[in-house]
This record gives sequence, structure tokens and C-alpha cells, in this order.
Amino acid sequence: MAAEEKKKKKMSVAEILAACRKLDSKGDTASQAEQSSGKDQAAASSAKQDSASEESKPATKIPKPGSGKRPSVQEILAMARAEKQKKAAASTSAPPQPSAAKKPVAATKPTPKPQAPAPAAEKPHSSNILAAEEVERKRGPVSKSALEAKTPAKPSPTEKKPAAKAKPVVPPRPTRPPFTKPGKKPDQQRRGFLAVLGVMLGTPLGVGFTSLATTMGLWTLGTLRFMFPNVRIEPPSKFKVGFPSDYPPGYVETKFKTQYAVWIVNAEYNGQQQIAALSTVCTHLGCTPNWLEAEQKFKCPCHGSGFYINGINFEGPAPRPLERYAIRIAEDGQLEVDKSRKFQEEKGQWNDPDSFVPA
Amino acid sequence: MHGYDPAFEKAVAEFLGIYYLGLAALNAGAAYWLWQKLHKVRDAVVWLAVALGFVVLAAVSMGGAPWGLPHGLRELLNTIFTGNRGAVIFTLGSFALLVILFRFRRFFVRPRVAWTILNLSLLYLGLSMTSRPFWEIVAKPDNVPIVALAFLLGFFTWLATYKAVQNDERIKQGLPPLEKEDSEKVLVWPDLVYTELICMLALTAVLLFWAIFIKAPLEQPANRADTPNPSKAPWYFLGLQEMLVYYDPWMAGVVLPTFIILGLMAIPYIDFNKKGNGYYTIEERKFAYSMFQIGFLQLWVVLIILGTFLRGPNWNFFGPYEPWDAHKVLVLNNVNLSEYFWIDLMGMSVPEGILAREWLGIVLLIAYLFLLPPILAATIFRQFFIKMGFIRYMIMIQLLLWMLLLPIKMVLRWTINLKYIIAIPEWFFNF
Repeated sequence: MAAEEKKKKKMSVAEILAACRKLDSKGDTASQAEQSSGKDQAAASSAKQDSASEESKPATKIPKPGSGKRPSVQEILAMARAEKQKKAAASTSAPPQPSAAKKPVAATKPTPKPQAPAPAAEKPHSSNILAAEEVERKRGPVSKSALEAKTPAKPSPTEKKPAAKAKPVVPPRPTRPPFTKPGKKPDQQRRGFLAVLGVMLGTPLGVGFTSLATTMGLWTLGTLRFMFPNVRIEPPSKFKVGFPSDYPPGYVETKFKTQYAVWIVNAEYNGQQQIAALSTVCTHLGCTPNWLEAEQKFKCPCHGSGFYINGINFEGPAPRPLERYAIRIAEDGQLEVDKSRKFQEEKGQWNDPDSFVPA
Repeated sequence: MHGYDPAFEKAVAEFLGIYYLGLAALNAGAAYWLWQKLHKVRDAVVWLAVALGFVVLAAVSMGGAPWGLPHGLRELLNTIFTGNRGAVIFTLGSFALLVILFRFRRFFVRPRVAWTILNLSLLYLGLSMTSRPFWEIVAKPDNVPIVALAFLLGFFTWLATYKAVQNDERIKQGLPPLEKEDSEKVLVWPDLVYTELICMLALTAVLLFWAIFIKAPLEQPANRADTPNPSKAPWYFLGLQEMLVYYDPWMAGVVLPTFIILGLMAIPYIDFNKKGNGYYTIEERKFAYSMFQIGFLQLWVVLIILGTFLRGPNWNFFGPYEPWDAHKVLVLNNVNLSEYFWIDLMGMSVPEGILAREWLGIVLLIAYLFLLPPILAATIFRQFFIKMGFIRYMIMIQLLLWMLLLPIKMVLRWTINLKYIIAIPEWFFNF
């Protein structure tokens, strides 16, 4: 008995169904007719294909324990084919339910239609059935006239259709809650603050992220503070470069280049002889040009930009003249350069009297 | 040229002796290989004779008086390649050379021809080294990789072209490409891994010898007030540095490099032609091949060589054998297009308003970038436009036009000292 049970369990549901159908066909020709008739041709044909190969084996084994089982599977088919349920019930399904209770093996399968047959092999079968059902339901008329032509032809199915027809009914729209004005509940706000505090410190994760964010914030602040050191070790932005008489016309003083990055030139600009402080930063890409006394020009070694003695660019890629720094005659009569202010020629700033000292 | 310097003469003589011996060994090896493996006795004899010639050169060099290029030839090359005219001749000449190599590739890829060219160029390099200015360029530790690059690139370009020519012949005859013939699978272990191991060892050995024999090009501590003259970018950025001479920093330093990178990334999406996948071919991919080679060889490698050999102090152009004189004076007064138009052509002063002043440059640029693509689509690139579709074609043509902006501006700068096509220094917008 135990061995037989095992064998039964091994049998796939498709096999069981096939066997059942064979029994049906032997005993009940009417049900056979049902199967082949219109409704679920797809399901039936696939089932037949299955059964064709494995008819012989299960057929011999089922009968002994399966006298009660046969109708239960039949019921699966019957339920799927909803319209024919009456006929099927009349012929076979009366016995199955009691028998299902009797037999332990069959007990798992009988009443619940799709869920009970667990094995995977069953799936294609049941889905076929359901698919056929679905196809049937969808095989509705395309046009209105066709629909009218069809509806009177089927009086009996109408019993079941109402449920399907009831679906498209639009459910009543939910009533909109009354509009609430924002920011009118101080109590809730206070509670909201507590809630935020709770999120931040209530859980280990919250504590972790809060401390992480705090640390990062402090780091950022510290970095910002680092940008403004207490002591800056750099030459002062204001420095004295001697008396105007030290700079005859056409003279370029290069001795401040290393320390202050400045040339003091006495050159003509706009028809006026001016003493000016030129920046030693090339306006192309920031290299330091050299003063070439013989050629009377500043020449950059990086890309070949050239500037006249007054700082105006004339060759190479430099797009604009060298920059001037502020210069004035200090109280003691010396020239004083202020590197904190600069003047750009292309912006017309060289006309500013702070940018030069008339020579 | 510089006067007699015993230390320099000795160093050159020693180096050239070893150099020519190396070349002799190279040719002797080739001759042996031809004789033993390929059984081409006549070829083997020729290359053996060449090897013996190099041995003689080595002996002469070690004797202390290496042969150099005739003085007249050096002077001639100097006058050809000096100054702006030299740059034009060099750039257009190298382009013409590439075109000739491409056009007659079937001839130039023949192993015999290629080997001859290699020998001649190596001999030329050796003969040039007796010139001190040239020696100082070539022997500078910074520049050793550039010389190596020139020869390595030549070799690999030859290899690829050789295979492509073979494949093209086969395709013409209806045969599958060579790569398909020997597409048999090879085991990763041991075949591939052993090859990689040998390559690794060889490369490590080369690096070791390089590090031992060529001192690192360390310079004085950085000084803000003293920029080295000339101050050259790392060799792989010399093309970029050259670009910076012709366009504004934001263009040459930001926009154009971005276009290069984006354009390279876009190639697989623009070029959907499946031909040439997995095998070498030129015939089937003429446009793609030549465009890539123009971009890579002409606009990158040629500029690297230009920056190495012809650029000297103050970023002036010098001939290859010309002493680097920091006080060399070249007339380089740059003139904007607007000045050319208003002052020279119209004979009046430049107008005040920006648009009134620069309208010609703006119109030219807009026409170049937006009018040219449809015209080209209707004429030369008609087939491309139909095949690629609007968006692909537009991206391709824009990248192409932007790429060609560089040589156009370079030649304009060298020939007519054109500074900017559009010059708006007020907004820091110069083009």
C-alpha cells in the first residue's frame, strides 16, 4: 500500500488527468463529447497530446485506489468549464465529494480548484484551462451589431455574465477631505520637532548618522577656518621702490621680480610718460616672462607671448596686456606699490590716476 | 658651429660608435634571418653589406671624428625649417608625406622598402647628432621617449598598414581576411600567460637600463620668478602646448580638449560600420582610417615632433641644427581679422562697437560651423548623410570641422600673423 502511494505521488497531475480522461472515455461517452466540443479546445488538445504517450501506464494503476479520485479531477475540469457544470455534476460529480474525504491521497486535491494541485507539472494544464476560459470570455463581439447578434443566442450563459458586467461600474469618488490651512497648529509643530529629535537620536542608526553629519560639518568649518590663517608669511602688499628720479624714461627695473613679482617701468602710454608697476604674470597662462633689453620687450618662454615695454601685448597668444598694480608717491617722496589693487588695460582702468605716476 | 668642445666631441664619438655598432648588429641579424629562415641569399648578402658599412661608420666614430651631415646640407635644412615659414613647410610637408605614404602604401609596406627607410632614417639620425644643437635636443633625457616614439610609431603604423594591405588584396580576391584564417583558439595558459610574462620581463629590463643610463631630468628648485626658457610641456602634451599658442586658453585648454575626449567617446556611436571589426583593412574604411590618422599622426604626433625639434627659447621656431639663441628676433606682430578688414582693406579706423568691429569674423565662423555642414551634406558627404542620418552626420561633421579649425588657424597665424578671427577682449572672448 505504501509503495503504491509513493508511485501515485510520483505521477504527475497531467498523467492523472490523462488517466481519468481515459476512464471517462471508457465509462462516459458524454463527457468525452464535452471535452472535444468547442469550449476548451486548446486545453483538451494539449491534454490529449499528453495522454497519447502515457495513457497505458497510469491507466493500469489508477483504477484500484482511484475509484474515488477520478471524479475529483473531473471536477477540476468541470469547474473550469463553468457552463457545463450542471451536466457534469449530474453525471459524475455527485460521488466525488464524499469519496474525497475517504481517500487520504485524493484528499489533498479535491475541492479547492487551482491551489490544491501543487506539483509543477500540473501548472501548464490548469493554466491551459484557465487560458481557455479567458479566451472564451474575451472572444466577445467586436462590433455592436455583432454583440446584439450574440447576446440573444446565449440565454444560459447570461446567468454567469452579470458578475463580469458589473465590474466596469465606476466606484463612487471618495469625498475630498476638507482643506486644512497650513501652519495653524503650533502644538503639532512642537511635536514635529520632538519627532525630528527622535529620528535623529532615537535609534542607533539615527545616532550614527547624526554624529557623522555633525563631524562632517565640523570638519567643513575647520577647513574654512584654515583658509584664514592667523599669520600670513608673505611679502607685504605695500612696499616702496625708491624715488621717481631712479626711473629715467625707457627704464625697466627687474630687481623686484624675484621678491615682489613686479617690474617698475617708465614708459609711454597714451602719449604720456608714466611710471607704472607691471605684474610679472603672463596674461596667457601665468608663466613669468623675461625682460629682453636688446629687443625692448617682455617675452614669455612658455608660449611666446610678447609685450612692449609699457605692457601692451603684441605677439604670441597673450590675449590682453600685463596688469598694473597701484602705485603712488608716498609721504617721504618714494614710490609705493600696492599689490592689493590691480588695473587692467582692456577694461580702461589704466586711465585711473592710481595706476601710474606721471614721470 | 659652436667652436671646438672636446667633451662634447668625445661624448658624441663614443655614443655614435655604439649606435652604429647596434645598427650593424640589427642588419646582420636581419641578414642571418633572411638567409637561414627565408633562404633569400641575395637579400641576406645586401643587408650584410649594409651591416659592414655600419661597422665602418662605427670604427670611424670611435676613432674620434664621426662623420656628420655636410655643412651645406645642414644650413639648407636650417633655412628651410626656421621661423614661421619653416613651421608651415614642416606641417604641410609632413602632411604631404603622410598623403604620399598613404597613396603608395602598397609600395611602402614592402618589407624591403620599409627596412630601407628604417635604415636611412636611423643613419640620418646618427649623422645629425654631430651637430651640437641637434645633439642637445636628442640627447636630453626629456626627449629620449620622443625619439623612441617616432620610431615605434613608425613601426606600428607600418605593421598595421602591411596587414591592411594584405587583407585588402585578399578581400579583392574574395578571400577572408588573414585574421579569420588563423583564428584558431589559443590557450590562456600557457600560451598567453607566457607571452605576457616575457613581455613583462623585457619591459622591466628596458626600464631598468633606461633608469641606469639616462639620468632623471631634474631641474633647479621651482622659482616663481624664473620660468625655464624654453619651458616645454611633458612630451605627450606638446601638441596641447602648441594648440595654446593659436587659441585662447579657454579654447585650447578647455573646449578643444573636451571635444577631443568627447569625440573619441562618440566614435563608436557615430561609426556604425561593422567592416574592419577584428581585422586590418584600409580599402573598406578609407574615410574613417584617414580621418583618424590625420587626427592622431598629423594633429598630435607631428605637433609633438614640431614642439620638440623646432621650438626653442621664447617659443620661437628654430631650424633643427640652429643654435638656440634666446635673443633671436622674429617679426611676429599679430593682427586681428577685424584690423585686417577695417584698416588694411577699408582704409579706415576700427569702429567702436563690438558687433560693428567683429562682424566679419562672426559671420565667417557661423558660416563655417553652420552653413558648411549642409553644403557638404549636399555635395561631398552626400552618401554619408544618407547613410548616417541627420543627427549622426551633424555630430560627425561638427567634430571634423572643430578638428580642422586647429590647422587652419595655425597656418593663418604663420602666414599672415592672424591673431584672432573674433577678438572681443572686453568679454574675454577671443576666437
